[in-house]
Amino acid sequence: MSEDDFFKKASVVKLDTLSDVNDIGKPWRYEEDGMTVTRTSPWSPPGCHPVGCGLKLYVDAEGRLERVEGDENNPVTQGRLCPRCIALKDYIYNPARLLHPMKRDPKDRGNADAWETITWDEAFDIIKAEYDRITAQYGRESIVVFAGTGREGGTFFPFGSMCFGTPNFCYTQSGYACYTPRLAAIAYIGGTTYPEWDYAGALPGRWDDPRYDLTEVLLIWGKAPLESSPDGFFGHAVIDAMRRGTRLIVIDPRVTWLSSRADIFLQLRAGTDTALGMAMLDIIISEDLYDHDFVSYWCYGFDELAERCSTMPPEKAATICDVPVEDIYAAARMYAAGNPAAIQWGLSADQKTNGMQHAQVIVSLMAITGNLDAPGGQLLPNSSAGHNEVGFGFDKGVGDDLLAKMVGLDQYPAYCMVILNAQADLMLKALETGEPYPIKMGFYAGNNLMSCTSMEPERWHDAIVKSLEFCIGFDTFMNPSIEASCDIFLPLKTVAERDGTVFTHYAPCTVTAGFMHEAITVGDCKTDYELCYELGRHLRPELWDKEFNFRSAKEFMEALRLGKREEGRYFDKVAENVVCQIPIEYYKYEKGLMREDGTPGFATPTGRIELWSTAFHGFGEDPLPYYEEPQFGPADPELMEEYPLILTTGARTTAFFHSEHRQVPRLRALNPDPITEINPVTAQKYGIADGQWVRLSSPFGECVQKARVSEIVDEKTVHAQHAWWFPEEEGSEPNLYGNFRSNINNLLPNFHFGKLGFGAPNKCFVCKIEPIEESYDTDMTEVWDKFGKLV
Amino acid sequence: MMTQYGLLIDYEYCTNCGSCQVTCQEEHDYSASETGIKVLVDGPWKTREGHWNFNNWPVVTDLCDLCAARTAKGKEPMCVHHCLANIITYGPVEDLAIKLSTKTKQFLVVPQYDPIAARGPFVSKNKGAHKAAHIEVQGTGKANYAVHRHDTKVDEISVEDVDATEN
Repeated sequence: MSEDDFFKKASVVKLDTLSDVNDIGKPWRYEEDGMTVTRTSPWSPPGCHPVGCGLKLYVDAEGRLERVEGDENNPVTQGRLCPRCIALKDYIYNPARLLHPMKRDPKDRGNADAWETITWDEAFDIIKAEYDRITAQYGRESIVVFAGTGREGGTFFPFGSMCFGTPNFCYTQSGYACYTPRLAAIAYIGGTTYPEWDYAGALPGRWDDPRYDLTEVLLIWGKAPLESSPDGFFGHAVIDAMRRGTRLIVIDPRVTWLSSRADIFLQLRAGTDTALGMAMLDIIISEDLYDHDFVSYWCYGFDELAERCSTMPPEKAATICDVPVEDIYAAARMYAAGNPAAIQWGLSADQKTNGMQHAQVIVSLMAITGNLDAPGGQLLPNSSAGHNEVGFGFDKGVGDDLLAKMVGLDQYPAYCMVILNAQADLMLKALETGEPYPIKMGFYAGNNLMSCTSMEPERWHDAIVKSLEFCIGFDTFMNPSIEASCDIFLPLKTVAERDGTVFTHYAPCTVTAGFMHEAITVGDCKTDYELCYELGRHLRPELWDKEFNFRSAKEFMEALRLGKREEGRYFDKVAENVVCQIPIEYYKYEKGLMREDGTPGFATPTGRIELWSTAFHGFGEDPLPYYEEPQFGPADPELMEEYPLILTTGARTTAFFHSEHRQVPRLRALNPDPITEINPVTAQKYGIADGQWVRLSSPFGECVQKARVSEIVDEKTVHAQHAWWFPEEEGSEPNLYGNFRSNINNLLPNFHFGKLGFGAPNKCFVCKIEPIEESYDTDMTEVWDKFGKLV
Repeated sequence: MMTQYGLLIDYEYCTNCGSCQVTCQEEHDYSASETGIKVLVDGPWKTREGHWNFNNWPVVTDLCDLCAARTAKGKEPMCVHHCLANIITYGPVEDLAIKLSTKTKQFLVVPQYDPIAARGPFVSKNKGAHKAAHIEVQGTGKANYAVHRHDTKVDEISVEDVDATEN
């Protein structure tokens, strides 16, 4: 296939509600009523995983962004937008946004008033001096690059490798309990990456395309796709499918809105999913509801799986999961009857200690029902869609010797090698103890770990502040992590100020490729790729100017994302399409499209989906799924006596992307305070009124949040929101924007991951709850006064 | 008569994403505490059939002008454009009423922007047909307590007494 065919302008399917006066068919840039309209397909910032919705940016003659509208030309979003892009202007021109580099004396860390504006040249010179000093004394491995989630500059970027040359790129959530455990499971079982539900996103006719079969049954498991849309999948595609007749099964400890629309809803005890999945496999196998042909030709280890799952009969699972046994039967039969059927699997698979086994049963369900790579089933990526090409883990610029020193690599290769990341918990240990070697310099790449991604955040705070001699923050706004620990702040461009690419679903089994177009200039900021290129050349000229040899920052981006080196000309050409649908094939494993060698089968040792996993076996893990009780839960009655409630955390909201957006008043108004959901019966028992503030505590710490009394959770469970800080409050230590007051991560531990290094009990923990007299209600007038008047 | 326009809302699929409220605020430059549309939530609560009732209701407020500036150009209101679940349809009420009859769990709404101002300033409609007549009258020379009483205990008020108390 030629490249022009690959990046071809997407077809448009007009929504019925859209007026006949619309912008379908408009070019990537046009004039309207004295304004220049730029069509773009954003990634970040603000924070979002690559979804690549369509945006139209209206810029006036003075170069100011006047309005933001959803672009009707996007085949998936069709003009629709979530609140965060709708409020993009309020983010870009927010009075709290930082637009110039700053420095601060390391002695003044934590003092919000001690920053001093400097030039980029001065910032680069300071960084160079510290880089040379620290690497001469401790080696490049003493640098840690903290990656956040979603944003291009975080997980996806070669800051660690190409710019700083350290093996220690690190996402600091204990057990990398977000997405990567699922990725690892499918990599080690199926030799491929994340199988996404096929919602016809890549097909020109969308839902009505002749190649597509509408998903009859969609099983939504531990995922809230509507709210988690910025996690990479356009969530409301589920609604589009439901309106065409797709029926739902929902498995979740919370009564999500989707569960109220489901044929079957299994409100299981948090953390027991693997038992449920094994029981569903047992039903489908013992009632002979599986796809015999797919199992005999394309699966390995079916008999062993059948035998193992027979140890978890539905009646046993019903007791463990606290759900009616007849509902387990009904769900298994309905999923198996769906032709096609698909599973949307969420973060619950990652956020438990034995999450790998949860992922394993889900992949097994997809496989034995013959739904892998079937239209309307689970779309698989082809062999060229690995992660390393697009940013997940780079070794270039590090060197083999140094790569071998990655923190945790010797103990947890299954973790470190799948994403080329230092093991999070062992990084904490290295920061605290200097073992296996000292960590002395840090860089925050799209990350606010003290508010969002780190458990026991005060412990991380203390370790970072104590261990790092020099630290750099690169972001759009100040945040608690940078305020507490950085000596240099560098300002980052937003989506409206930059060009670039966006591949949906983190690039594996991508359905659309989008392109960002720079529409405005604000302050003196840089994109991730501009900083990486410029700072990389400043720090390591021998490598960048002799070996890498990119002719411009844009060519670096072009090479990184499109595999071309044409000084940006190739990018400019394809970017005029704004959004393209990626050509896809179904049943790739039959056609030799799943393996580098071009022969049929999967890229696994046996060439099949390994229901009995050779790789797991090789890593010393059980090759078959098994159920383990949550470590903190009813299995420990003594603990439950003091902490009688099951705590699940981190459900997404549409107002915010994790710890971002708290300073955008129109978004904050959707969710002004940190919310804990508690059942009316439980609330009555503890004397908690709706809207009252409560103290939540666990063996690891405590925080306060505001109670929402609702049947959304059952009597044994509470759910607490994550990533709260308060940008309207005092930023200096010790308050640090109220960072540790409502931070649910105070209650959650490090070092409780599974055998392969993955997983953490963020969604299946314990706590106790008590009402408090104080109120910490957000004063929205204050928020509006501080952040509502745009600059 | 002028065509009446409204919004047909398929609340079966309203997911309470907040896009309608935020886009309304952006379009009209309303503050974070003002909006022309917002979502009210009913649920979740369990029905006697064991089903979870959980419905979100986008309701228009007195600040909804159906995006008059946009609809004048033939475009749809912003909440229609951005609604993630695509559940809001704008159009003439007669057309929407036909759509309303084809599916359950919908409602049709015709908002009124700033309803007090929309009434206009107060102007009396009654012209006062009766013209006061010029007829000479004579005083009774006395005042009565509570003339609606019919018992015999009603005393007359001495006009002199009244004058005396006032002095």
